[in-house]
Amino acid sequence: MSRYEVLMLTVPEITQDESRQLEDKLEKLIESFKGVVISFERWGKYRLAYPVNKNDYGVYFLLRFEVGENANALLDELKMMFAVKLNNLVMRHMTTRLDADASLAYQRPPALEETPGRDVDSFLRENKMEGLLSIDGKKAAEAEVAVETEEQSAEEAAA
Amino acid sequence: MTKKIKLKMSARLSKKKFRKTAFGSKKHCRFCENPEMQAQIDYKNAAFLRSFLTERGKILPSRISGNSCKWQRRLTKEIKRARTMALLPYTAPRY
Repeated sequence: MSRYEVLMLTVPEITQDESRQLEDKLEKLIESFKGVVISFERWGKYRLAYPVNKNDYGVYFLLRFEVGENANALLDELKMMFAVKLNNLVMRHMTTRLDADASLAYQRPPALEETPGRDVDSFLRENKMEGLLSIDGKKAAEAEVAVETEEQSAEEAAA
Repeated sequence: MTKKIKLKMSARLSKKKFRKTAFGSKKHCRFCENPEMQAQIDYKNAAFLRSFLTERGKILPSRISGNSCKWQRRLTKEIKRARTMALLPYTAPRY
């Protein structure tokens, strides 16, 4: 039983339905060759290192499966499928062989959804400075300053 | 001025080699006999592989990174795989 994995890069506009369809198609193909799907994972949306088919972002899927004797036929079928049926959806794919006894753990870069947002709103929220940049916030700050100056003048008058 | 003695080729080469190795520190390959690091060499592990690229996206030569021949070859193979899958750049963007 030899293990293989396929990393697929799809267009970023892929919908939930389409990804389910992709998974089902691949599963059916593997089952027809008497293979077993080990895992099918959606990594998420990523910013690509260079534009692929004029897309700056893409969604990665990782499929792992195990197959017995008809491995060659299955791999050929897979290649054909990527070339013909799924060529609108799947932009790149890479099939690798895995050791049968190697661990299934791997590391991958963090997806776009996992990296913390670097826009102004999330920065303010994290540092609890909400309202500082808005107009209401300014008025509140000015009111505080006005109160302080009143207190100061009151103290000076008393003194 | 003393007349320059023209040395034989073998003497010149051994002197040159001595000059080169006399100054440089012996770099150790971080992958040799270290299965944890060896397991990190994977085309999906872009963050780890990125440390072996220059800022322009070029692969570091083994005389800089200190990798032994075997692991440098494996590393290169995985970097090139990651490049085709758009996980690593071929060249740095020109901003």
